[in-house]
Amino acid sequence: MKALTFTLISQPKERLDLSGLTPAALAGLSDIQVARLRIGTRRSPVAVGDVFKITGKDVSNIVFEGGSARFDKIGAGLSAGSMRVTGDVGCQAGRRMSGGSLCIEGSAGDHAGSCIINGRMEIKGNAGDYLGGPLAGEQIGTEGGILIVRGKAGDYAGDRLRRGTIAILKGCGDYAGYRMIAGTIVVCGRTGAIPGYLMKRGSLLFDRRPENLSPTFLPCGEPEIAFSTLFDRFLIDEKIMDRALLGSKPGKYGGDNAVSGKGEILFRKRDR
Amino acid sequence: MSVAWIGSQPVSLTDAIQNAAKLLASSRCPVFTFDADVHGTRSTIALATMLGGAYDHASGQVLANEVALFTNHGGMFTTPGEARRRSSLIILVGEIPTLHHDLLQAWASSKPDLGDKRSRSWFHVGGAETDPSNGKLLRQLKAISLRSEGLSLNAELAVLRAQLQGRQALVSLSNIAQLKKALAAAQFPVFVFSGSSVATAGLVMLQELIVDLNIRGRASSVFLPADDDAWGSALTSLWMTGFPPRTGFTNSLPSYDPVLWDVQRMINEKEADLHVWVSTRGGQIPPKGGQAALISLNRTEVPTGGAAVTIAVGQAGMDHDGVTYSSRIGTFRTLQATAASHLPSASKVISQLAEALPGKRILAC
Repeated sequence: MKALTFTLISQPKERLDLSGLTPAALAGLSDIQVARLRIGTRRSPVAVGDVFKITGKDVSNIVFEGGSARFDKIGAGLSAGSMRVTGDVGCQAGRRMSGGSLCIEGSAGDHAGSCIINGRMEIKGNAGDYLGGPLAGEQIGTEGGILIVRGKAGDYAGDRLRRGTIAILKGCGDYAGYRMIAGTIVVCGRTGAIPGYLMKRGSLLFDRRPENLSPTFLPCGEPEIAFSTLFDRFLIDEKIMDRALLGSKPGKYGGDNAVSGKGEILFRKRDR
Repeated sequence: MSVAWIGSQPVSLTDAIQNAAKLLASSRCPVFTFDADVHGTRSTIALATMLGGAYDHASGQVLANEVALFTNHGGMFTTPGEARRRSSLIILVGEIPTLHHDLLQAWASSKPDLGDKRSRSWFHVGGAETDPSNGKLLRQLKAISLRSEGLSLNAELAVLRAQLQGRQALVSLSNIAQLKKALAAAQFPVFVFSGSSVATAGLVMLQELIVDLNIRGRASSVFLPADDDAWGSALTSLWMTGFPPRTGFTNSLPSYDPVLWDVQRMINEKEADLHVWVSTRGGQIPPKGGQAALISLNRTEVPTGGAAVTIAVGQAGMDHDGVTYSSRIGTFRTLQATAASHLPSASKVISQLAEALPGKRILAC
């Protein structure tokens, strides 16, 4: 059966809330019912059929042909099946997804992958601020799953990460791993100011020595640990990276000592 | 003298109201920016509610930074009065806005009459980015500097917290031993900060430091807003919708999102098609950018540049009586007009706008 495809007719004039277009929400609906679903967020009631041409029947495999920075909450609450967007998306893509896979071939806005519980989300372009982080008033960020950004991420990537893996492959802005509770963040490329600020536990893994650390992170030498090799293998097996990130004897900083000092930053030594 | 204009042409107030109401009724996505007293803010929010728009304060970014401490983390706060009467140890954090310098100087000239009743001592955590304009105040207060060369304020706060907990850091702050001694002696140390001087991350670090101190004793903080009127608007918004500014209405329900409902961003990215600018302070002009039509309710004697409709409004406490927030007393206060004028209040004009809308609706405030 052909994938259920939403082809963008023209760029939307307003921000759209696409949280209702997931496999679970669309199961059992006819084409007409889908076309009548309201997705507009302004005074005029914009419906799916006003913005997209709908083809295909397989609701467990949804494709958005064409993207826009005004596509908000795409894949939010995804629990099974697969979704793919061939362009950019707006804020809160994949928010609270608990299973399945979401692939964004363009860039994503702020709060991409906010509070993911499980599943796999991949952004081939860049991501905005607060990657995987909670919204205002929420206490916990990402709780599981894998979140991959092939481009750059903005500030506060992995805010309040509790479990799971976030990988950013072309660098990130300031405060990566801000208020981390646990989990793992991988960053290849440059990091901005003060990564790991207020982190309690968890691991920040870098492909180079971090430049702008808080003085409350202390160097811990180059421990020979099994974790780095195992995790390198995990990154390659999951097709997140095609080469080892840390090697067998990475450099290590411990911190944030302003909090409890139980977190760690591991980085690849350049001389090897 | 004219108080209303369509474009640059003076018109009667009634004509201007009718014209503005037509623009509001036909707008797909109206947005509202305000800088007014409590009544002006309430009327603007009520109009935004009625029209399904979004609203923000004119100092939206600074206010969002201050609000983020409360929405994302929380904290321990006391009132300025309690700090003045009970605290013998004040630690200033970052740059304190000039409007609060009188308050701090008044504290310096008094002695606590409750608690340990010791003479007050002052410390200051500055950071490399702190503006030297605070130097005069710090000299007057004889504040002891806690700093480490080249460190940002956020990094200094991290080092301060680590050192007060006896944990290691790569650098040390100057005069830290003196601060530890003062903390051991003081019964109620108070940290004083403003949202404009520290990034939200630093404010969170400061609040966690205060939580640490409360494990063994008592400590708190005084939050001095960067702009009293803006903070008053935030409190007014909370009481009306349950959310601070940067709130919008989708399907008649309010939702708070500091990114999606950032009015300036919505204008720049051409999401909004109508901007209602309410500023009673005078001398302020709406930010440029985007293609949204502009309705300006401004304390002005000339039409606002680029506005489809301009209506002159008065300022609370000058042209008419009003209610505003005062951080000195930590609550709202009434203001009497000091130079009553013919200019109508923003809330009166907005009520007339609501009545001129199709269906003749009454504002819910």
